Amino acid sequence: MKQPRLAAGEAGAFARILGILKTLLKHKRGAFGFTVLSVFVIIAVFADVIAPHKPDEIDLAEGYAVPAWFKAFPQYRNLPENVEVVAEGRGWSVKCEGLTPLVSRNAVVLTVNGSRRLTATLERSFEYPYSPPKGFYGALTYNVTVWGAPGSSARIRLYLDAPGGGSYLLYDSGSIATNVSRTGAPVTFDARDAPLKLALGFSLYDDLGEKLFSAKGTYKLRVVVYLNAAGGGGVSVAVGRLYFRIRGLAYGLLGTDNLGADIFSNLIYGTRVSLLVGILASSVSVSLGLIVGIVAGYKGGVVDQVLMFFTDTLMFIPLIPLLVAVSVFVGKSLYLTILLIALFSWMGFARNCRAYVMSLRDRLFVEAARALGASDAYIIFRHILPQLSPIVYVTLVLNVPGAILLEASLSFLNLGDPSVPSWGRMLYNARYSGAFSRLMWWWILPPGIMITLLAMSFVLIGQALDEILNPKLRARRLT
Amino acid sequence: MDGLAKYLLRRAADRAAVLFVALTLQFALLRVLPYYVLGIDPSFFFMNPNLTNEQRELIRRAFGLDEPLHVQFAKYVLALFTGNLGYSFYTRRPVMAELAERLPNTVILLGASTLLTLLIGLTLGLLLAMKRGTRFDTTFIGVSVLINSFPTFYLGLLLLLVFGFYLKWFPLAGSVSRPPPSDPVLYIADYLWHMTLPLLTLVTAGVGGYALLSRNIFITQMGEDYIVTARAKGLDERTIMVKHVLRNVLPPVITIVALALPGIVSGAVITETVFSWYGVGRWLFEASTQFDYPVVQGVLFIEILLTVVSLYIADIVIAIVDPRVRLR
Repeated sequence: MKQPRLAAGEAGAFARILGILKTLLKHKRGAFGFTVLSVFVIIAVFADVIAPHKPDEIDLAEGYAVPAWFKAFPQYRNLPENVEVVAEGRGWSVKCEGLTPLVSRNAVVLTVNGSRRLTATLERSFEYPYSPPKGFYGALTYNVTVWGAPGSSARIRLYLDAPGGGSYLLYDSGSIATNVSRTGAPVTFDARDAPLKLALGFSLYDDLGEKLFSAKGTYKLRVVVYLNAAGGGGVSVAVGRLYFRIRGLAYGLLGTDNLGADIFSNLIYGTRVSLLVGILASSVSVSLGLIVGIVAGYKGGVVDQVLMFFTDTLMFIPLIPLLVAVSVFVGKSLYLTILLIALFSWMGFARNCRAYVMSLRDRLFVEAARALGASDAYIIFRHILPQLSPIVYVTLVLNVPGAILLEASLSFLNLGDPSVPSWGRMLYNARYSGAFSRLMWWWILPPGIMITLLAMSFVLIGQALDEILNPKLRARRLT
Repeated sequence: MDGLAKYLLRRAADRAAVLFVALTLQFALLRVLPYYVLGIDPSFFFMNPNLTNEQRELIRRAFGLDEPLHVQFAKYVLALFTGNLGYSFYTRRPVMAELAERLPNTVILLGASTLLTLLIGLTLGLLLAMKRGTRFDTTFIGVSVLINSFPTFYLGLLLLLVFGFYLKWFPLAGSVSRPPPSDPVLYIADYLWHMTLPLLTLVTAGVGGYALLSRNIFITQMGEDYIVTARAKGLDERTIMVKHVLRNVLPPVITIVALALPGIVSGAVITETVFSWYGVGRWLFEASTQFDYPVVQGVLFIEILLTVVSLYIADIVIAIVDPRVRLR
C-alpha cells in the first residue's frame, strides 16, 4: 500500500465514476433519479440563499398563518399581511404647547424647566386595509432624565386610536421621578399579554388584534408625554423609536407553523439534514458491512460462524423498538442518531459481501497470488476489494433511502436532535400542534413529499446502477 | 421423523441464542451504556430530588440497583423467565398486568395486517409473474418503488388527515370508543372501525415489497426444468400452477415472511403511535420518553420473544412443507 499507487488508483476510480455517470444518464429511470437528486443537492448547498429565513427564526407572523399566495383566492383576499410601523424622530408629528421639541433623526427630546406642567403628543398614522388580525407586538424606547430639586416627574403613555373613535391605552409608564433609560431594553407590549387584555376590558380568550383592528381604515399611534417640573428642577424626556407590528395571517410561500416560523425555510433546510443523514449513515453502514463481510468470507471457519451469528441475530431483532428506546438517551445529537442508524443497518450488506468474497476466495487468480506468497492483506486489497466495488457502489446508494426514512421516523417521534430542522420534526410539530384539525395541508404535505422524492431518487439511481454494474444480475432477473 | 426432531431441536437452540443475544444487547444499550457513558442509572429518573442520600440509597437498594450490573443482569434474566417484569415507575402497576391489557390489541392489529399483506402480496406477485413484461407489471413495479420510498408514518398521517380529519369517516385516535359500547356486536364493529386506518396503513406499506419478492420467486420457479417437463406432459396451466409452482414457491416465501417478522413488529411502534392505538408499540414509545425502565425492558423482551417465537413457527412450517431442510 504505497502512497503513489493509491493515488493512481484514485485517479482511475474517478475516471470510472465519470464513465458510470455517463451510462447512468442514458438510463431512463436512472437519469430521472439523478436529476431529482441534483435538484435536492442544489437546494441543500444553496439553502442559505433560497430560504428567506433561518430555521430558528420564530414569530415572523402570526402562528398558523396561511401561505401568502392564498390571497389570490377571493375567500382569502382580505387576510392581513404583516403591517409594520416604525416611528422615529422626524417620523412623528409632534404637538405641544409651551415648549419647542428638539427633533433629530432618531429622537424627539422634550425638556421642561422650572415649575411647569406640560403635555406633548407624538402622533403617527397608518393605514390598515385588511380584515381583523389576531395579534400585534410593539416596542418603544425612551429616556427620562430628572435633575435639580426632587419632585419633578414624567409619564409616558401610548394609545392606539381606531378610525371608529375608540382609543386604547397600550402602554403606561406610570409616574417616573428618577433617571430611566429604556434605550437598550425597550418596553414591549404584546396582544397576547393577559394583563393588557384585562386592562383594556377584554376577556383572556379574546384576540386583542381582532378587537382593536376590527375595521379597515386609518389608525393612529399616539404617544402622550406628561412633563412635570417642580421647584428649581427640570425633566427631560427623549422618545426614541416606536416599532409596531401587526402579525399577518398570510405569510411566505407555505405559511407559518405554530410558533410563527417560516415553513418554507424549514423545508429548505430540512434537505441538508436528510442528505447528511442518508449519505453519512449509508457510508458508515457500508463500511461496517464490508469489514464484517470480508473478514467472515475470507477467513471462514469459526470467525465466519461467530460473525454471521451476530449478523443474523441483529437482523432478527425488531430494531425500531430498540432504536426508540436507545434514542431517548443518545438521540439528542444528530451525529449519534446517524451512528445508531448505521450500527443497525449493515447486516444485509455484510451477508451479500461475505457470499461474494467466499466465491472469490477460491478463484484461480487468488490462489495464484497466494502461491506467489502474497499476504492476506495484499490479496484483499488488490484482488478482492476491486471485485467488490460494483456491489459497494450500488449498496452505498440503496442504503441511503432506508437511513433517510428511519431518521424521519425517529424525528417524527420527537427522538431526534431538537436543534435540527428535519422534515420528520416538521411533521411531529404539525401532528402535535393542531395542524391536522386545522387541515393545514400546506404544512403537512410538503415535508412528506420531499422525503418521498429524495428517497425515491436514491432508489431509482441504485436500481439503475445495479443494472449497469451487474449486467449478469439483470439477465437473470428477466428470465 | 428423527431428522425432523433433530432439525427442530437445532433450530430451537439457534432461536434461543438469538433471544439471549438480543436480551444482552438490549441490556447493554439501555443499562450499561448510560451507566458508564453518562453516569446515570434508572433511579435517576424517578427519585425526588429533595431526598437525602440515605433515602436514595434505600430506594436504590429496594430496586436492587446497588448491585453490580452483571448481577443485576442475571437477576433480570431469571425474573423474565418466571414472568416477573417488575413494576412501572409511573403507574406503579405490574408491567405484566398492563401488558395483558395491551398485548391483545397489538396481536390483533399485527396478525390481521400480516395476514392481509401476505394474501394480497402473494396474489399480486402471482398475477405479476403471470403477466410479466406487460404494462400492468411495469406500472406496478414503478408504483411499488414509490410506496417503498414513502415513510410508513407519513402514509398513516395522510390517511388520518384525509379520512379522519377531513372526511370524518374514521376515528382520530384510540382502539375503541370512550365509553365502549356495551353490546358485544357493536363493540366488535366499533373496534374494527377504529382498526381500519392503522390496518390500511400497515397493509399498504407492506404489500408492495411482498408482491415484488414473490413475483421474482414465481418467475424463477416458472423457468425451472420441471415446469417445462410438466408442460411437455400436456398438463394444463392451472394444474401446473397449483400443483407444481405453488408447492415449490412456498419454502422461499415462508422464509421471506420469517425475515419480515421483525420489521412488522418494528412498524407497529410507529403506526400505533400515529393512531394512538392502545397497544404495546405505543406503550414502548411512551415509556421510553418517560424513562420508565421496567416497561421499556419488559416490552422489548415481549417484542423480541414474539419475533423469535414466530421465527420458530416459520421454521416448523418450512420443515413440514420442504422436507429437504431436515437433511441440512
